Formats: sequence, C-alpha cells, structure tokens
Amino acid sequence: MVRTRTWSLRAAAGLCITSVMLTACSGNTPASQAPGSSTGVTPTTGGEATPDTGGAKPGGTIFVLTQAEQWDQVDPQRVYTGEDLAFFGGTIMRALTAYKFSPDATEGTSLVPDMATDLGTATDAGKTWSFTLRDGLTWQDGSEVTCDDIKYGVSRTFATTVINQGPTYAIQYLDIPGPSDADTKAGYLSSYHGPYDKDNAAGQAAFDKAVVCDGKTITFHLNAAHGDFNYTVTLGFGAVPKAADTGETYGTVAPYVMSNGPYKVESYTTGNGGKMTLVRNENWNADSDPYRKAYPDKWEVQFGIDPKILDQRIMEGSGDDATAIQYGQIQPENLGVIFQDTETTNADFEGRAISGFDPYSRYYWIDVNKVKNVKIRQAMAVALDREAIRLNIGGAFAGDFADGAIKPNIGADYAPTGLWDSFFGKEIPNTGDTELAKQLIQESGEPAPTLTFNFADTPTNQKTAAIIIDSLGKAGITVKPAAIEPGQYYSVVFDAKKAGDFGTGGWGADWPNASTVIPPLFTQKGGWDLAKLDDASVNAAVDAAFAELDRGKQAADWQAINKQSAEQMWHIPTFFGLSQTIAGPKVGPIYRWSAYGSWPYGEMYVKE
Amino acid sequence: MAAYIFRRVLLMITLLFMLSVAVFFLFNMLPGDPARLTCGKACTPDLIEANRKRLGYDQPVLVQYQNFVGGIFFGRTFSADSPEPIKCEAPCLGYSFSRHEEVMSLITRAAPVTFWLAVGAFIIWLTVGISLGIFAALRRGRWQDRLTLGISLVGYSMPSFFIGLILYYFVVIQWKLLDKPEYVSPFEDLGKFLATMILPWIVLAVLYAAFYMRLTRNQVLEVLNDDYVRTARAKGLPERTVVVKHALRAGLTPIVTSAGLDLAGLLGGAIISENIFNLPGLGSLAVDSITKSDLPIITGLTLLTASLIIVANLVVDLLYAVIDPRVRLT
Repeated sequence: MVRTRTWSLRAAAGLCITSVMLTACSGNTPASQAPGSSTGVTPTTGGEATPDTGGAKPGGTIFVLTQAEQWDQVDPQRVYTGEDLAFFGGTIMRALTAYKFSPDATEGTSLVPDMATDLGTATDAGKTWSFTLRDGLTWQDGSEVTCDDIKYGVSRTFATTVINQGPTYAIQYLDIPGPSDADTKAGYLSSYHGPYDKDNAAGQAAFDKAVVCDGKTITFHLNAAHGDFNYTVTLGFGAVPKAADTGETYGTVAPYVMSNGPYKVESYTTGNGGKMTLVRNENWNADSDPYRKAYPDKWEVQFGIDPKILDQRIMEGSGDDATAIQYGQIQPENLGVIFQDTETTNADFEGRAISGFDPYSRYYWIDVNKVKNVKIRQAMAVALDREAIRLNIGGAFAGDFADGAIKPNIGADYAPTGLWDSFFGKEIPNTGDTELAKQLIQESGEPAPTLTFNFADTPTNQKTAAIIIDSLGKAGITVKPAAIEPGQYYSVVFDAKKAGDFGTGGWGADWPNASTVIPPLFTQKGGWDLAKLDDASVNAAVDAAFAELDRGKQAADWQAINKQSAEQMWHIPTFFGLSQTIAGPKVGPIYRWSAYGSWPYGEMYVKE
Repeated sequence: MAAYIFRRVLLMITLLFMLSVAVFFLFNMLPGDPARLTCGKACTPDLIEANRKRLGYDQPVLVQYQNFVGGIFFGRTFSADSPEPIKCEAPCLGYSFSRHEEVMSLITRAAPVTFWLAVGAFIIWLTVGISLGIFAALRRGRWQDRLTLGISLVGYSMPSFFIGLILYYFVVIQWKLLDKPEYVSPFEDLGKFLATMILPWIVLAVLYAAFYMRLTRNQVLEVLNDDYVRTARAKGLPERTVVVKHALRAGLTPIVTSAGLDLAGLLGGAIISENIFNLPGLGSLAVDSITKSDLPIITGLTLLTASLIIVANLVVDLLYAVIDPRVRLT
C-alpha cells in the first residue's frame, strides 16, 4: 500500500521532469543544424571538454548570467532543478553526501561524504540508514550544525501546505504511516504534517521514530529497502535551523537562507536586473569541508538577461564577462560560430565552451498490450528514420542517438546495449533499415499493422509525425497521427483507453542512479510506465536491484534490465539530450559535471 | 466643466469595475491551473486539489471575484487554514506563489522603472518628432522634407528589438562606450541612471518619433492651409507666431490624443526594451508571469495597464479644452 503511494509520487515527479522534455520537444531546442557541424558523427561522450586544472587560485568574482528571472527555489527542501542543486550545493547548502567533481561521467556521479563522515551505513537489508556528522560543521552565524537541524530540515518536506514545489522523497521513503482521507483533503501527503502543525502529536511521534538523532548520528528508518538512499539524501534532505525558518518565504526574502557552506547570501533580488550576491561565509570551517574548493571571493548571479545579449557578452568575454559563465543554453544561431561540431570548439572559443549531456532522454513509448508482438515493435524501431527526426529537432547539437533508457551521464549504470550495432546481427543505419523492418514483420507472423501515434501538438512534433508516418510506411506499417493538446498530453497517454499505440516521451533521472530511471519507466507501480508493462519477472528484477546494497552489483542489474528493455523494445530509445554552454576566458574548470548536467560550481575558479 | 469631470470620473469608475470583472473572469477561463503552480515538480492530484482549496480556487468564480475585490479594499489572508497563513495587506492584488511575494509589492517595485523609461522616451520622441514634423511641413516638397520623411520611414520600419540589439551590441559590448545597463534610481545615482536609460530611451523614441514626426507634419500642413492662418499671415504676423501660436496649437489636438494613449500604454510596460536592456519594469514582469502562467500577477498588471489607459483618456479629453479654444467640455 505504502509502496503504491511511493511510486505514484515518484511518477508525479517524473511527470513534471518530462514536462520539461515536452517543452523541449515543442521547439525550444535548436531549430536547425548549425553550419559546420558534423552530420555523420555520433559522439558517445557528449563532447566533454578536458578540464583545465591549472591556474586555480583563491580570489575574484564569478558571474553567473541567466535569462531566468529568478531561482526556481532557494530553500533546501524545495530546490529541485539540476543546475540549481549544483550551484547551491557548491556554495551555501551542504548535504550529508555529495557527488565528486570530475569531468568523467562515472567518477562525476560517484558519491563522496559531505557533512557526513562517510557514505552512510545501511542495516536491516537497506531499510535503515545511519550517517554520522563531521566535527566542526557550522552555520553562517557561527553556531554548530546539529543532527537536529538536519532532522528539522527533513521534517519541513512533510509540511506540504507550506513547503511545496520540492522533492518529496522523504515522504515517500521514511517509515511513517500514509495519510488519512482527512490528511489528504487538508493537503498532506503523510500522516505527519511537518513542524508547523502543532496539533499532530501522532504524526510527530511517527516522524521522531523514523528519524532519530543520537549525538552526531542521524538514523533514517525507511518503509522499504533502498540501496541508494545515500544518493537520495542529496535531494531535499538539507539542514535548516529551526530558529531561522520563516516558512513559505524561507530563502527568498532577507535574511535569506542560513548557509552552512563557504559562502552566504548577501542580497537577492528577482526579475530583470535582479541579482543574487554570495560573499564568503567567515564562519565556514574549511577543515570540516574537504569537498568544496571555495576559490572565488564572490559569486554574482545576474537574472533576466536577454539570451542573445547573454551569448554575445560571454562570447566577447571582456571586463566582468571574462569571468562569467552561462546558466542556460547557447542560442542556436551561435552554435556554428562557437563549435565546429558537437565535440570540437572553434579556435576562438577553445577551452571556453562545452557540449555535453543534459539530464534528459527522449524515446517513443509503445503500449506493449496493444502492440504485443515483439517483432512488430522491433520492426517499428528499425524502420524509424532517426536521422531525419534529429535534424527536425535541432540536429547533432540536440542529442546523441540513444541505445537504451539509461543515459551515459548517469555513470556506472550505463553500458552500451548494442541495440543499433549488433543486436539485429548488423548495424542499423540512423536513417532506418526498411528491408530489415519488412523482414521482422514477416517473422512476426502478423500482417503489417495500422498504429495510432500520439504526440503533443506542436509544429516540431507535427513534422516529426510526418517523418514517422513516412519511414514506417515504407516498411508497410500504417501510422495514423493523433495529436493531443500539449497541456493534456500526458493525462491522455497515461489513460490506456484514450492512448494510442505509441507516442512521444521523455525522462530525466532525479539522481545518478538508474533506480530513478528503470523502475519508473518499466514497472506499473512506477507511474511513468507509458509502455503499460506489467511483467512479473521484470518487477522482481527491479525490486532486487532496488534493494541491492553493492553498488557494482546494482549497476549490473540495471544494465541488464536496460538491455532487455531495448531488445524487447518496450520503448524505442531515440536521443540522449545534449546542451551547449559557454564561459568567459578567465574562468575554469570548463567541463560538464555529469552529476547534475551542470558546471562544477564547487570547484570553479577565476584564472589569473 | 466640473459637472463634466464628475461625470467622466463616474464613468471611469464604472469602466474600471467592468474591466476588473472582465479581466478576472477571462483569466479564470484560460487554460492553465493556478493550483498546479503551487506544488512544483512533485505534484499529485491530491496535492493539487488540496492547494486549490487552500488558495480558494475551489470556490465559484463569483466568490473568488468577491475575495479579489475585497482584498483590494480590505486585504486578505491566503492559506488561512494553514499553520503558516500568508497575510496580504490592502490594497491586495493577490499573492504569487511562484515568486513568494505579494503582487502589489512586485508591481510597486517595477512601476518606477517603467515610469522613468516611458517618460524619458516620451520627452525625446515628442521633442524630436514634433520639431522634425514642423520642420518638414515648413519645407514641404523640398529636399529637407523628403530627407526627414525618409528618415522617419526608416525609423518607423525598424523593429525595436533590432535597434535595441544593434545598439547594445555596438555601444556596450563592442565599443564599450557605456557600461552594461544596470538600473538604479535617479535619486540614488543620476549619472548611472542616465547611462543605463539612454539606450532604451533611444530605442523607444526612434519608433514613436517617426510616427509623431509624420503626424505633426500632416497636421501642421493641414492647418497651414486654413483661412485663419492665411488671415494671420495677411495681418503681417511673424512666421514664428503664425506657426507656433496658430497653426501648431490647433494641430496639436490629435497629437495630444495619441501621445496620451501611447504614454499610458508604455507605462504598462515596454516589453522589448526592458528585456534587451535588463530593466526590471512592468513589461518584463508581465512576460515572465505569462511564461509561468502566474495568473495573480497577470491579472494585476492587466488591471493596472487598463486603468492607466482609462485615466489617460480622461486627461487627454480635459487637455483638449486647454489646447484648443474651440473645444468646450459640457
């Protein structure tokens, strides 16, 4: 019962992540392939730049330029976007664990201790996790960061009528009874209502039992085994001192969020011309924080900058902009100026721009209950002209061809599936293999089907639909397009009665573990199972991987299911999303940090 | 006169009331769920429903409207049942859950920026537009007239975003003649204020000046052919007096109408200029709110802009009587 609630919540989170994908699908990706870019190269690493490790020294100001009018959230319990998590995690918000700074995808998604002395200790087969805090952890006012501060921070997640819009893994994972009908009607997702409701003694008791402080050790009792719970604590499990908590406005108005990192918020204004300025936190104890380098003296985030102006300023890279970095994406018209192709910058921008994986993957889901024959599903995949579709959504800069559900930047869990290289006994061209598709249909023992294709009704998707109709049509598969109003897309395709046979989809992991990819996509209790797959053996394999405490074994488990998903074509993997960003000439290191698909804020510096 | 003003004020209040009804109901019928905005990524149907109830979006639209109007006069409390209710003092135009701030304070902060932007550009375009318009009219058919008309056509044809980007790129980025725009109040640092505003003023003024130049030229030419102007000249009045005192004054009426409405429209936000030059005005606030479907802010801004237009209409009508002696307000 609890499990179902857990999965439905996770699915809801996924819905929103994928809404971002939907936006990307609807035309916010580059409109056309940039001049000079390679059309035949399929980079597998996303063209990560080699980090320049020289010249790192304390001092200077790094400017972060963004089109956004404000941070989505500035509250440890509500920050949810990858780039924001990376920025705040590297500057003012510490967590129990964190991800290693490294340009390597596997290393950059591996855990390191942050406020905790180690990566946590799992007992009770992964249902209980304990973390011990380091000595010398301090808040910006000089007071000690205590276990109770972390416990209080976690408790805020449960106050869903006050602290909303953030991740809810604490509610999903902690061993606290679910909500009654009255709780649900009142807006709570748990029988515990968080720290602000003083008339919830039973809920408070349940929380106190689930999260226990014993000196410097905090213990979490979970409702099920979670082998990757030490990843989970990077998201929404930050500390908040009770005395500083201002509820709904915490973080957004003065005195802003209480920092326990190397910087503190000096000022924050939103909108065009708005800024957030971070200055050094004189009470930060470097001995307690071997993780953050804290090189610059100051960070200045500038909001509301016109994206074309933003590009030009950093491309010019003079004055303050020499130490500026872009939060966002290079405009399509500048990609050809900055890059030769997705792996190589032009000489003028060498060591300043990166093209790397963003958090998202795209695919076409297939309802396995409607298209039951695996050979037919494989024929659909083989016939698909993925090259034309990629060109339509922005060319090589939009993404690499995907070979499964797990993206390479997720680190240890990725392994090539060989889907397009070897699985069919030959290489499948990106433009599709009509003859092989016809052969697969013949092997299926069924006539070539007529299928309904769902897509969010945008101009880009309309063109994609035309490509799909054409390329599958060549193999004899008749495709009927069924456009859906974008705002209603997922509510329709999740309804088996209303959904077509296949359609567009997208997914982004919440943290670099395939536990946030495979289970949601390929089990019904995951809630994002657009394939409508409900296979007992798959469910059992997912449960086993979920509970696996050995990270190496867990990775192997996920890889096996990922390969199976590709071969069984529960969905047709299409693209691993790429994005491109640029920095001024006097800032480093320049690489895409796989943990969040972001800049490695915690080790950035101003060059001489 | 007093009776006229009284009637117009009454009409204005009625219009504002009808407008508030129209805006409120219209925006509540638009696609997009304001309750959805309050629960971000991890949003369940239960949570959306609970938030809808908490914020009063589950009430009939009429009741919501009553609460909205009540908030303007008496203030209101959001999430009243929550352990941490949000109090919004009168005049309360709503609360933005995406910005965690009252709509009124957002507008109050952005309005001065737009005010200075609009007023500065207004002065430039009126000065340049009317001067060049008179100049062209007085040299009708000569090369000066054709040159001025040509310049106005170019100015009229170039989109604001194009002029803005070009000016920013060359003046700020390439030639570094000005610092990057960073709005400060004129009372805080006048030099920096002028350095920041000069380019956006020019961008706005180019488009409007071109229009006003042509409008003024046409009006002055029309009036210059009137009998009373011929009479004035026949009486031996100096040309300056004929043009300024007789021709221009009579020709000003349509210019004042346009200027009043244009200024009022701009006071509601100059979206392109504000965005290119990173000015935190009402226009950029509107764009961001529309992008995020932040209905409370959109509603507040629409009401504000429409109110400005209505007030400007009244002011313009009153000015008619001052400018043109033939006009009597009854």
